[in-house]
Amino acid sequence: MRKLFLILSCIFGVLGIVFTALPMDTLAFLPIGLALVFGLLTLVKSEDHQKKIPKVVLFIGALCSAVVLGKTLLIKDEVATDTQFEQQKMETKKEAQKELEELEGLE
Amino acid sequence: MKRLLLCLGTAFLLSAFAPQSNPAIKAGEKLVYAGSYNMSGLMTQLAQVTMSTETVATSKNTYLHLSCELSTYSKWDSFFKIRDIYESYVNPTNLKPSLYKRSIDEGGYTKKEKYTFKGNTVNSTVKKRNRPETQKTFTIGGSTQDVISMLYKVRTLDFSKMKEGQTQSLMIVFDEKQVPVTLKYMGKETVNAGNLGQKPCYKISIGAKTDALRGKDKNLIWLTADAKKIPALLKFSIPVGTGQLVLTSATGI
Repeated sequence: MRKLFLILSCIFGVLGIVFTALPMDTLAFLPIGLALVFGLLTLVKSEDHQKKIPKVVLFIGALCSAVVLGKTLLIKDEVATDTQFEQQKMETKKEAQKELEELEGLE
Repeated sequence: MKRLLLCLGTAFLLSAFAPQSNPAIKAGEKLVYAGSYNMSGLMTQLAQVTMSTETVATSKNTYLHLSCELSTYSKWDSFFKIRDIYESYVNPTNLKPSLYKRSIDEGGYTKKEKYTFKGNTVNSTVKKRNRPETQKTFTIGGSTQDVISMLYKVRTLDFSKMKEGQTQSLMIVFDEKQVPVTLKYMGKETVNAGNLGQKPCYKISIGAKTDALRGKDKNLIWLTADAKKIPALLKFSIPVGTGQLVLTSATGI
């Protein structure tokens, strides 16, 4: 059972790191939380000399939680200025004006 | 005297049958929403949705340009960039559409649609990425809207006298065909309306016979229970998941 908990804690630990790096916001707490839970279970089931890996997983989980929380609280959601998109909007508007004129010409 | 009566009578008749003015929607309005998508039970903010209105004039007419833009937040752009524009050019008085355009770019998948409304006939042009352009002509009813103008049209309806569960039918053009839409009044609720603060709102369920929307009463819109009827919150359920749009800023209202 300890081995299973250890494998699961490692898998969710890796997923936690990936989700922390990606812009997943609080969704990253899902694998991090599972990594912490399985890390704790592994720690409980471990002998004294086996506690190194679960402690590392718990440390990584805590670190990732702090990073995700910091990103969520400190980084503001913003839309980048997209000149190409702005240009496209201008062109679409010009096109639309022509199309409306054509439509009026048919009436 | 007869002439005077005739003039007064004509003026009265003209005013009585003139299209109802549209006090809720005016040019210069800008509504900004934070769009979130439900990922494994957690709402993750993905994009900003901006709905704006402006006046556009041609040599013959003046239109109200209703625009809805969707842009992913910069943190997502490297992973899945979305830049969508939905536009409708409508009669400012009755919100009847003349031109509807949709241009989407979702992670590299592009699609452009154009619908021109001429009387009861709609000409549609659709161009998907790597596919040839297709054209279609079909007839619609006199009060059929496009998706964007429908959202604005809903704001001109009077919900104050409606009872819970009461429905109203509308017709929209969607995917090159006419689709019936049912609005169901579900009562009043107070929701957060961004810079407008907490507002009592009309809760409306939108149902349509299309695969684009899923679930019963899962597509909801909360409109502020005042003359402006600003959409404060929208919840949607589509085949790929659920999400919501939360009003963050309303200006020019």
